[in-house]
Order: sequence, then C-alpha cells, then structure tokens
Amino acid sequence: MKQIKRRASAALLLALFMVAGTVTILTRLLLYGDQWAAYSANSSVYTSRGILACGTLTDRSGVVLAQADENGYRYAGDVNVRVASLHAVGDYRGYLGASALTAYAGKLTGYSPVYGTTNPGNTVALSLDAELQSAAWRQLGGRKGAVLVMNYETGEILCMVSSPSYDPEQEPDGSIEGLFLNRCLSGVYTPGSVFKLVTLCAAVENIDDLYERSFRCGGSIDVAGVSITCTGYHGEQTIEQALANSCNCAFAQLSLELGGDTLAAYAEKLGFTESHSLDGIPTAAGHFEAVQERSSYLAWSGIGQHTDLICPYSMLRYVSAIAAGGVLREPTMLLNGHNGSTRMLKESTAQALEEMMSFTGSTHYQSVFPGLDVCAKTGTAELGDGYTHGWMAGYLRGETPLSFVVVMERGGTGYTQAGGVANAVLQRAKELYEHD
Amino acid sequence: MPSYASQIIQITGYARAVLTALVLLRCAFSMLQEKYEPEIWGYLTLPGGESRALNHWECILGRSRSADIQLTQGGLGRCHAVLQRSARGRWTVYDLHCRGGTRVNGQLVRSHARVRNGDELQLNEMKLRFVDLSAAQRRTLQRRRSEPGKRYRQGLTLLLLTNFQLLLMLEHCLTAQSRYVPPIEIAFAILMGLEWFCFFLFRSRDYKGYEVETLAFFLSSVGLSVTASSEPGGMLKASALLLMGVAVFTLLGWWLRDLRRVKLLRWPMAICALGLLGLNLLLSEEVFGARNWLIIFGVSIQPSELVKVAYVYAGAATLNRIFRKRNLLLYIVFSAIIVCVMALLGDFGTALVFFTCFLVVSYMRSGSFATVLLAVSGASLAGMLVLTAKPYVARRFATWGHVWDDPLGAGYQQVRAMSATASGGLFGQGAGRGWLKSVAAADTDLVFGMVAEELGLVVAFGCLAAIILLALFTVRNASAGRSSYYVIAACAAVTIMMVQTSLNVFGSLDILPFTGVTLPFVSRGGSSLISCWAMLAYIKAGDTRQNASFALTDGLEDEEYGEEYGEYEDDGEEYGPGEEDGSAGDEGGEDGEE
Repeated sequence: MKQIKRRASAALLLALFMVAGTVTILTRLLLYGDQWAAYSANSSVYTSRGILACGTLTDRSGVVLAQADENGYRYAGDVNVRVASLHAVGDYRGYLGASALTAYAGKLTGYSPVYGTTNPGNTVALSLDAELQSAAWRQLGGRKGAVLVMNYETGEILCMVSSPSYDPEQEPDGSIEGLFLNRCLSGVYTPGSVFKLVTLCAAVENIDDLYERSFRCGGSIDVAGVSITCTGYHGEQTIEQALANSCNCAFAQLSLELGGDTLAAYAEKLGFTESHSLDGIPTAAGHFEAVQERSSYLAWSGIGQHTDLICPYSMLRYVSAIAAGGVLREPTMLLNGHNGSTRMLKESTAQALEEMMSFTGSTHYQSVFPGLDVCAKTGTAELGDGYTHGWMAGYLRGETPLSFVVVMERGGTGYTQAGGVANAVLQRAKELYEHD
Repeated sequence: MPSYASQIIQITGYARAVLTALVLLRCAFSMLQEKYEPEIWGYLTLPGGESRALNHWECILGRSRSADIQLTQGGLGRCHAVLQRSARGRWTVYDLHCRGGTRVNGQLVRSHARVRNGDELQLNEMKLRFVDLSAAQRRTLQRRRSEPGKRYRQGLTLLLLTNFQLLLMLEHCLTAQSRYVPPIEIAFAILMGLEWFCFFLFRSRDYKGYEVETLAFFLSSVGLSVTASSEPGGMLKASALLLMGVAVFTLLGWWLRDLRRVKLLRWPMAICALGLLGLNLLLSEEVFGARNWLIIFGVSIQPSELVKVAYVYAGAATLNRIFRKRNLLLYIVFSAIIVCVMALLGDFGTALVFFTCFLVVSYMRSGSFATVLLAVSGASLAGMLVLTAKPYVARRFATWGHVWDDPLGAGYQQVRAMSATASGGLFGQGAGRGWLKSVAAADTDLVFGMVAEELGLVVAFGCLAAIILLALFTVRNASAGRSSYYVIAACAAVTIMMVQTSLNVFGSLDILPFTGVTLPFVSRGGSSLISCWAMLAYIKAGDTRQNASFALTDGLEDEEYGEEYGEYEDDGEEYGPGEEDGSAGDEGGEDGEE
C-alpha cells in the first residue's frame, strides 16, 4: 500500500497542471482582459450590430465628442466639431473602421479586472482640441484634404481633420468619393517638394562638402537626355538657398549623386515606406522606388515625384523628429498618453535640417505665417493631369511646440492653399496655448 | 429590466462569491487539515517481541523501504509477500516468489494461504506471529480515531451552500421569463431537498463525512444555474437527472463496500464497456462533428460517459493482482481498444481523457515509468498518424493559440468564451444575464465562460478548486487506503475529472487545443452528470476517516459472520484459466480476470 500511495501522487501532477493553467488564465485576464471584453461580440457593452453601446470620448478640455449609454448615442454639440472630428473619433453606425472609438474600446467599456464590464462605460479624454478641429475644418472649407497638428514634445495629437466629412447625426451621402477615408492616416499622396526634406537628410549625412558646394540652376537641367524643369531660374545657390528656392535642379543633382538605393534607405529609415500604428490604428505605408540607372526617374524620385507616395502621418512623424532634435515622441491621441520615443535622426542632422528649414521659413514663408517662428517646407506635387497636391509640413519653435502637416488633395499649391490652412490653424493654436 | 433587480443582483453577486469561498474553504480545511490517523486491522509480532500494526487491508511485507511492513532481517525479498484482509475479515497471505518462500505454521505456501489469529508466519528465515483483532478490540481502537466534522461542522457548510443556491434561484427568478420561474423554483427546491435528505440519511446511519457530497452539490448547483440560463425549459429534466445521478452514486457506493462482490462484476463491467462502445460504433449519430451519441427510445445518451465508470471499475485492482504481469497486459489491451474506438468516433477529447486515466492507473499498477513512457510514445505515434489522416483534427490544432486571428471562423467559440470570461469580472453579470448562452455549445464545451460571465470568476474558479480539492483529498486518503482497489479507482476517477476540467476550461480559453469535453457536474448533459456522480462513489470509497463514508463498512459488523468458517473462500472466484505458476493444489486462482 505504501507503494500505491506514493504512486497516487502522480495524480497530483494533474492538479499542479490545473493550478498552472489557472495562473495562466489569471495572468492573461490581467494582461488582455480589456481587449477580450472589448471584442464586439460582448453584448454587455456592444449592440447587436457590434457597435459600442457605452463610454464617453471627450476632447482635451472635456468637450464631449461621442457618448453612448442605454439611452442611445450622441456626438459633439457643435456641428463643426462634430464634422471635423468624425474621422478621428469614429461613428456609432459602423461606417468608419479605424478610429478612437475602436482603438480605445478597451478603455471605453469601463473594463476592470474586478468588475469586468458589469458596470459598463468609462470616459476617455483624447488629446484632440475641439477648437482646433473646428478651426481646421472651417479653413478647409469643404476642400479635400488632411490637417494634422501635434505637440512634438509630448506626442499628443491636437488636431486631426480629414475632408470630405459629414455630420454623423445625419445619414451620410455614400456617393461622395473617399468620404469614409481618414486622409490623415490612411491616405497616400505624391509628396512633391516636401520630399526634398528626405533627400536633404540623406545629403547632409552622406555628402561631406555639402555646405561648400554651389548648385547652379538655369531653369532646367538635362538628365540622360531628359530635361528636368525647375520652378524658376535660381542661378548659383548654397544648399540652404536651394532648399528655400525648392530648386529642382539642385535636388536632381543630389539625387543622382546619392543614388536610388541610398534614397530608398532613407525613405525607409525615416518611416515613410512602412505602416505605423497610432494607438493600434494602422496607418498607410508609403512607396518609394529605388531607381537604379542614372535617369530622369531617379532625379524625379528625389524631388518627390516619379512613383513616390507618402502618408501625411509619416510626414508628421518626420518633422516632429526634426523639431525634437532627432528624437521622435511617438504620436498618441490620448490626453497625457505616452507611446515612448525613438531616435530617428542624429542630433547633428536634425540641427542642420532645422537651420535650413528655419532659413526657408524666415526668408520665404513670412507672408504665409505672419508672426510665427516657423521651420517648414512646401510641396506642390504634379499629378500629370493638370492637378496638384499642395503640402505644407513643418513646426513652430518656441513656446508652442507644435508640428503640423497639411495636404490639400488636388487642391493647388502648397504655398498658398496648404500654407493658408496651416497658418490659420497655427495662429488659433498659438492663441490657445501660448500662455499655458 | 427593472433597476431594483439590477441592484439586488449586484448585492447577491458579492454574497455568492463570499459563500463560494466559505463553502470551499470549510470543505478544504475539513478534508485536508485533520491529522492523519491510520486504521489498525491487526498486528505482526516480530521475534524480539516488537509488534507492527497492519494499517491496511493489503500490506506488503519485505525488506524494501516501500514495503508496508519493512523487515530488514531474515533475508527477505524486496517485496516478499502480501498480507490481505477481505471485507469479511479474513486474512490471506500471498507469496510473491522470493527466495526462501513463505510458510504458515511451517507449511510452504505455493500461491496463497489463509492466516488466522495466532498463526506463525515464516518469510524465508523471519518468523512472525500474526495477531488478528477481535471486534471488541477494533471497536476500542476505532473510537480513538476522530470523526470528521468535529471542527468544521458539515451541517453548517451545507447550510452555507443552501444559501448560495437560494441566491442563484432568486437571481434566476428575477431574470428568467415568468413562465420559466416555476420550473426553476421546483428544480432548485429539489436540489436543496435532495442534499439535505442525503445529509440526514447518512447521518442517521452514522456516516459523518459529507464534504465530497457538498462539493458535488456545489458543482451541480452551478450546473443547474447553467441550465436555467441556457435552456430553462429543461429544468425538470435536469432535476430528474440529478436524482438519478445521486441514486447511482448511492448504489455504487453501497456496492463498493464489499470487495468480494466488486470483484465479481469486473469482467462483466469490462465486457459491458466494450459492448457499449461497439454499439456506439455501429449505431451512433453524428452530433457536433463527433459520433459519440446514441439515441435510444428518443433519449440521447453518450455511451462514452458510462464507459468511463465501467473503465474505472474494471481497471482498478487489488494488490495481489497487481503483481501479475499478465493482468497489466490485458489492461493495456482493454485500454487501447477503448482509446482507439473513441478516436475512431472522432471524439479526441474523450480519447485523451481515457488515455490519461490509463497512464495514471498503469503507473499506479506497475510503478514503472518505462511502461508509461512506452505508452506515451506509442500514443504520440498514433496521434501523428491521426493528424495526417484526418486533416480537420490538424486544423483544430492549427487554430490553437491563434483564435483571435479568425474570430468569425475557427476561433468563433473560443474568442466568445474569452470575451465573456473577461466581461463577468469577479462577481459576474448575474445569473441568467449573460450573452454567451446564445453561442453554440455554450452550456457544454464553453461552460466555463458562461459560468464566469454570469456568476463571476470567483464561482468559476471555485468549480476548478472543487475538482482540485477532490483530487488532493483522494491522494491524501491513499495513505490510509484499505485496498489498492479503492485507491486506484479513486485516483482514476479524479484523474478523469481533472483531465476533463482541464480540457474544457483551458480548451475553451485557448490555453489547450479546443476539444469539446464536458466540465464535470457543470456542463449540461444527462449521461455526463450521472457518470460524474458515479465517479464520486469511487472517491467516497477511498475516504477511510472514522465513520466518514457510507461506501465503506466500519469493518466490525461483518466480522461476526466472517468467522463462520470456510463456506467459501475469500475471493470466491472461478479458477483462472491461466494459472501462471501452476499452483493448482492451492486455493482459488486469482488472476483469471481482467
């Protein structure tokens, strides 16, 4: 019997296994319970159509952007805020997939490890500013485009507006092309001259005598038998002046010298060709083709034409990294959210880029951004059909550490159209935050 | 729902958790904390006058440290002989063929021989005197052992459990459709009536251990709550099944009291198990992908559930039998057939349950890891073959760990179970207020999620704890086990329960592959419930605390007619067809069956 008794302990192995399994379940519940509870089949927090039926989203100062409870759902009271924030916030009819309502569902359900979702509903404050949203929307004035503003010191996104949009309290007009697309995160556009910031970064780090060089512009340049036209006749320029002039001839030369592989490597390193995650919302990956032969294609690819495509969000990350001395605070849409930071650029490179962008801002954009200390770059991307995308990307120095990207889709030049929207939003932001 | 109901359920949620914890803790302390008090059935007096107590019905004598009576002198074999007591108080010595042999009063024992009070037992050179205890002596000794329930009153524990059940009933009455309220009330009333009836019945017969039953009734009330949520129309049927389950438990427990009659039925049980499976293979209908259902006269039963009971019954063995290799071989063949049939039926979860039970039992019988390893490697080879031959099984394995990649396809049930588990928190949404019940197999394969969602994690993990408690209790009791038959049967029963619980709970939450077996007592299903209560009888038969279990005799009343000499031999078996050692001259063969 003693033997049998000892052997009976074999059954304890199974008991041990059960205890281990129980510990595993508890650990996973603590780690992922909020995500499990936020699954759309959970009828204690979702409607039968899989739409979150509880929780409140507010802007950074407590303005309700979206709210659901047993009495139904509602959005911001101000129609401009409502329409402006639609893509960032999401809707309760399920037209918009990737938005704050889905990204923060785990927080909105009110899940806690102790109570599960038995007391559903929680308030989540976003970093968005309803005032800025409204201002950006009014500036866009119905034109297609995307506006992004972020605090590059904290990573908080203050403004994310995509146009066209609609009032979520009304049934949307589905015939409008790209109505449900959040252009800030999911759109990709030919960048045009804003891409010169990428080529410039590669040049700063790879061409030793960049600052001693002189770039000649005669209005056009011949590359392998094809003429690359410039925006003007710039004569002899330093690299600083070439950026300020947005001189195609100078950047065509740089592109040819750097080569397709180097440019592609920088496009990748600076985060333009991959998809990112904004608090779990995937963003669109851009495209850059490494042209091998010394051709006009290679030259155009370094000027942001050819087959180049980038997402506004990627550009926001890049200019934010330059603004913060090369270290990127990963963006977040949560008030006081933290997604960590990564070094994207060498500090010296960031500084060099800042000096040149600042020179551009102070010499060429003074009339666009009156009274603002801005480091920026425009872009006017030729689409080949007579239309252009207008870009304005950059940041403010000083008391209001804001970076921004504005894209006007098939909407004219970066300088006037995108610049105008950017200026209006930044002026409003300055009013709001300068004395904080 | 009116808000006062919500408020009530919020309060009952806390109360439910507290009562669950109290019931489990009281049972745990009562079952595991009392100090170990061996029974004494007789003595062996050594040449020097030292006397050793016989604490079991089956004692190994030998020089090995694992022998129950360790005798280092006299040139004994490691396991020299087995001294075995029948339920009727007769002692027999079995020689295990060591050098020098065994003699009773000078006569060489070839296989086994009767030993009486005062007989001289000679093992090789060691001479011992055997002292049997008279009924009066035993009674005196037994009175010194403490009875269960002194420190943790069983009635109070049961009262707490009844309150738990009242709360469940109240919640269901608040949440169920009004036409289902009466059957729900009746079913819970039957449950509570039944547990108190059994309590007083056993108490009136002076059986005072009620923790095992309390745990089973706790699990059954959770199961009843599951039925009330998922299929309130089936409440009365559920009560009827519960009554049947408890009846089977009582009958089997009573039957197990007498090892002699237990042995009589081992062969029939084994044949019955194989027959049921054969019938199953021929006539079964496919339900949810597995063909393990039989529809007889409109009643659907799962033969595999009943086979579990027979498998344990036929698989356990008394100590004298364990030493025969041929018996183990037969057992292996028997097990292999059952496991293969289950696999053929497409029920891999149950096949795994049987296989694990086989591993534990064969290890307990043989004590050899080699046998176990051989079995495991053989089974894994067979498993590989199955995976290549049956791609849908492989697909199930492919889903394992990736259920969130396919929440609308292969991971459909698991992600819902996980979501429901998380949404209940510690105290649950309230009985009847869950949503998981509308998912297919929610009340069987996904039942843990359903319990966690409606009654909270405390109750859900309480169910796991109850099963683990039964296992710990069984293993603890093994040290005071009377016969290896009881110990092996009880261990086999808790093994089956634990494997099923693990596969059910961890499978539905994607920690193990999802195989779809039932959670003992909790999952809805008649065959399963009855089989679980039957298993409980094996556990009950291992409880040797004083006056604890109705499944054991107190070893006193039988002794009177145990002394009516020699009408039949203790085993009372037919002569085995294959006497290995050719000891035809001796008393009845003991290894003819398996």
